[in-house]
Amino acid sequence: MSGLARHRRLTRIWASRPGFRGWFSSVNHTDLGKMFIVAALVFFAIGGILGMLIRAQLATPHSAFVGPEIYNQIFTMHGTIMMFLFAIPTFEGLAIYLLPKLLGTRDLAFPRLTAYGFWCYIFGGSMLIVSLLLGIAPNSGWFMYPPLSGAIYSPGINTDFWLIGITFVEISAISAAVEITVSILRYRAPGMSLDKMPIFAWYALVTALMILTGFPPLILGSILLELERAFGLPFFQADLGGDSLLWQHLFWLFGHPEVYIIFLPAAGVISTVLPVMCRTSLLGYGWVVAAAVGLAFLSFGLWVHHMFTTGIPNMALAFFSAASTLVAVPTAVQIFAWIGTMWRGRPDLRLPMLYILAFFATFVIGGLTGVMVAVVPFDWQVHDTAFITAHLHYVLFGGFVFPMLGGLYYWLPHFTGRTRYFFLGETAFGLVFIGFHGTFLAMHWVGLLGQRRRIDTYDADAGWTAINLASSIGSFVLLIGLALVLIDVVLHVILSARGRRNPWHAGTLEWAMITPPPAYNFASLPRVSTREPLWTDPELPNRLVRGEGYLGDPPTDRRETMIVDIASGEPREIVVFPRNTALPIVFAAITGVFFLSLLIKVYWITPLALAAMAVMAWRWTWSIGDRTDAGPQPAGQGLTLPLATERDRSPGWWGSLFLLTANATLFGSLIFGYAFLWTIAPGWPPSEWLVPSILEAVVAIGGTLAGTLAIRAASVANRKGAGCVPALAVALIGALAAAVALGLLMARIPDPTGHAYGATLLVLAGYALFHALLIALMIAFLIARVRAGYVSPIRRAELGVVRLWADYVAAVAAITIVLVNLPGWVA
Amino acid sequence: MSEVARILIGPLVWLALFTATYALHGIACSQAWYDVDALGLSLMRVVLLAAWLATIAVAGAILLALLRPPLGSRSPFVRTVSLATAATGLVAAVWTLFPVATNSICMA
Amino acid sequence: MRLFLSFFMHRGLVFRLCVLGLTPLALAGCAGELSTVDPAGPAARTIAQIWWVMLIGAAAIFALVMGLLFVAYRPARNLAHASERVFLVGLGLAFPMIVLTALLGYGLAAGEQLLPKGEPEVFYVTADAGRWAWRFGYPGVAEGYRVSEDVLHIPAGRPVDVAITTRDVIHSFWVPRLAGKLDAVPGYVNVLRIEADAPGRYAGLSSEFSGPGYTQFGFEVIAHGAEDWQAFLAGELE
Repeated sequence: MSGLARHRRLTRIWASRPGFRGWFSSVNHTDLGKMFIVAALVFFAIGGILGMLIRAQLATPHSAFVGPEIYNQIFTMHGTIMMFLFAIPTFEGLAIYLLPKLLGTRDLAFPRLTAYGFWCYIFGGSMLIVSLLLGIAPNSGWFMYPPLSGAIYSPGINTDFWLIGITFVEISAISAAVEITVSILRYRAPGMSLDKMPIFAWYALVTALMILTGFPPLILGSILLELERAFGLPFFQADLGGDSLLWQHLFWLFGHPEVYIIFLPAAGVISTVLPVMCRTSLLGYGWVVAAAVGLAFLSFGLWVHHMFTTGIPNMALAFFSAASTLVAVPTAVQIFAWIGTMWRGRPDLRLPMLYILAFFATFVIGGLTGVMVAVVPFDWQVHDTAFITAHLHYVLFGGFVFPMLGGLYYWLPHFTGRTRYFFLGETAFGLVFIGFHGTFLAMHWVGLLGQRRRIDTYDADAGWTAINLASSIGSFVLLIGLALVLIDVVLHVILSARGRRNPWHAGTLEWAMITPPPAYNFASLPRVSTREPLWTDPELPNRLVRGEGYLGDPPTDRRETMIVDIASGEPREIVVFPRNTALPIVFAAITGVFFLSLLIKVYWITPLALAAMAVMAWRWTWSIGDRTDAGPQPAGQGLTLPLATERDRSPGWWGSLFLLTANATLFGSLIFGYAFLWTIAPGWPPSEWLVPSILEAVVAIGGTLAGTLAIRAASVANRKGAGCVPALAVALIGALAAAVALGLLMARIPDPTGHAYGATLLVLAGYALFHALLIALMIAFLIARVRAGYVSPIRRAELGVVRLWADYVAAVAAITIVLVNLPGWVA
Repeated sequence: MSEVARILIGPLVWLALFTATYALHGIACSQAWYDVDALGLSLMRVVLLAAWLATIAVAGAILLALLRPPLGSRSPFVRTVSLATAATGLVAAVWTLFPVATNSICMA
Repeated sequence: MRLFLSFFMHRGLVFRLCVLGLTPLALAGCAGELSTVDPAGPAARTIAQIWWVMLIGAAAIFALVMGLLFVAYRPARNLAHASERVFLVGLGLAFPMIVLTALLGYGLAAGEQLLPKGEPEVFYVTADAGRWAWRFGYPGVAEGYRVSEDVLHIPAGRPVDVAITTRDVIHSFWVPRLAGKLDAVPGYVNVLRIEADAPGRYAGLSSEFSGPGYTQFGFEVIAHGAEDWQAFLAGELE
């Protein structure tokens, strides 16, 4: 097959539908990555305009143009949009677009999940924007502290928009994180062992794992606060056994890692771009990987540094202060690894490098002020002042926006296949840099002079006017700079001349394809032996087009790529991807109906939406797999590999593993909340404890345990070629019996609206009940699949997936039963 | 997967024990262990010191175990990175729990 | 170290640091009725001193990093130094560990001084916050002067422990020239030690966002000299 014929054939297999309709049915990572980035930039523009409004309001003591009611919405939405609708989705978009190309494969592990996550993001984000347009946007600050955000002090729908909209958007973060984790671990070019992965992939892996463990505490907090607001379950009300500090713990348990979730991808961009701009390779690759992992972990140990002024015991302050300063060490390792790389190479001053230099000048200041606020007494003074506003913008703009703008200009020729020739970009850079520092440098000082965050005006005699005016002028310079960046990019996209491939002479695989990239990425998959395959073999792109790699001659019309061993990167399986489908957008829309029904409190729709979601999930999973055994398939270069569905651990198993990791973190956060309320909250003990019931406990634990054992028996029977339906039926009965027992438990919990004890018990038992019903649905699905002929001794992957979930549900049921009875026994 | 686990185990164990020690301090304060005598010190001080030393011991043991198989990786790269992250865990254990163990009080 | 610190304790020097234009920021001056860098009590003075020490340290580190970046662009740089040992072990690990150990020890020791300890001459007051008014109480003071709203009376030159509570949402008690802030959290009583060196009026704020009335939500602390204070205690003032 000639290169051109191969291109046509692969394009026919992989391309999205042409035109407008293609947007709604595409599951291709290149399309969705670009859609993510464009959407994130739109939200950045909205958030940026809100930021300008804040600066306009505060420019002088007399320039206030809105009252506190509107102003509170503006700053709340500025923070919310920038954090949840800009920063995280930008990472997701960049990772979705780049990872398969960097890793030398054709798509991410779960293409339809990519699309589902994208549409959840769009719908959830739109909900928040609608609230803004209607003037009923969230107004309690982006960290939403109760009791201010509770039903008594925020009776309107504003807060509900935040809690429900953000939870909806977080579905996209969790699904992207699952997908990125599985893709990096298993979807790579043959021969790409862990030590040969591009450094960006390491950063993306660490970031994705952090999202899986960092977001669930916030999701849980949002669920609890919404339950309190909607149904009066008093988790955060001190007079009813709740504690407003619980929210702060859950929020910052998310919120601090969030800062590093934002910084690490940008650090990945720097580690990728900077060596290329210096014509060398990264100094201390292994060190940088270890630093990123260490940073990720340490960042989970210091959430309390946002709570230094809440009066928690001084010891706790001391030890979080220690952890907070320690986090500077792995950051320093990375900074100096980059500077060392510059010393070793020959750095230039092209546009991506200028942004990286701006990163150094900005982020180092942000890091140093960060160490300052980790010193507890100093934090007591500057907490909630403009000093913190300045600090966090130095960290986030310096640590995220500057590197990402550098990355944008670095990969722009890849997105478009064009070359940039205007000097507009350099001018824009100058304005952005000057504008940023003009806005925020002096803001440190006005914070020390006592200006608080979140005030809507100030007295002329406070002595803050000059700095605020300078800051507002700086912000408009910044705005003009960013607008020029936008104009530059638009001009580039529509006007620029076609450029040559790999303009920066980079060594990584994303440049081993024609640009803009074809839908299938690589005509054949490369074998990789170094970290910079293009430097090792400059002829690689041509060889791939000629089909001198793997999977270059697709025998059928299926979309296929390769799964490799995690450590060695040796080929293990062939995976077949789903085709274009509107299923994700429809599923996301139904998910949206579910969240909307909670938002507008039309609760009869909620169960209908849940049922529709179950139907959609059923259809989604039903379309995977075959009714006949395929056996080993040719993979090119004389290699034959089995299909992924004919192994014990399919991609679905790996996806489930990481989804369950996030799920277990949510459950763990709930247990933390329960223990926190029990031991710390004022207003305990409650007036009555739950009366233990042996029968309930035995049925709930026994039923789920029997379920998981029966699925094991079914696996054994299936391997021997015997029927597995009887064993699965036992598992189904076990799960349903456990569900009934958990339902009865929920019904007799003492007064959930009267005390946080009952409320927490209700949520714990509800969580277990939901999982018992979920596993029952999965087992029913499996029975239907077996009867329809989708399972055979070889096609056994689905049994493995359900077994993993059944194990988790059994653990949840046992832990829940013990925990709900524990305080009563102890007392 | 086991290679990824090797890289993660050191700091993961630190994080778990860090959280546990934080919880232990909460319990010690709520149960007024600072008023209970034990070995010439307060019970709270003894418990927190023991927790600190135990954390260091576990983190150190993991670091040593990662030096050679079966826990240590055969891949030089994973070995280096896992030793570095385990060392991070050990340093973090010594550093972040030191003030807790030696110098903690309960407010109010 | 102690000598070094006591050098900075000298108020005249701090003032000169402030005015001499360390940065353009200092043009605005340090004074201001809400200024944390114009301390009027021991706690605020300790913290202001921490700030100046940290600012000097941070400026030095920033200059070092910028210098290393600058040298990277000079052809004459010593390439032999671009090793993992120098950049990663030396600058990446050892350097921040040393700096942070020093800083942490200093910060913890300074923080220790600021904590309320049971001393005999301490005066106790209560501060109860609610949207949007502060109620201050004086347990053990003559009948009729138990409560004041939005004005807190304290004796000058004597430590005062403020027991901070809230009637509704979270607030924060902050008198920038006297001490750091401490939150008023539902269900808890938090105690903050403040002290004013000299008689005078000091502006206070609530510094935790509390909704529409937040911007104007402040109060005033009046520190009385010995005679005035006796008058206040006896109920003769105001």
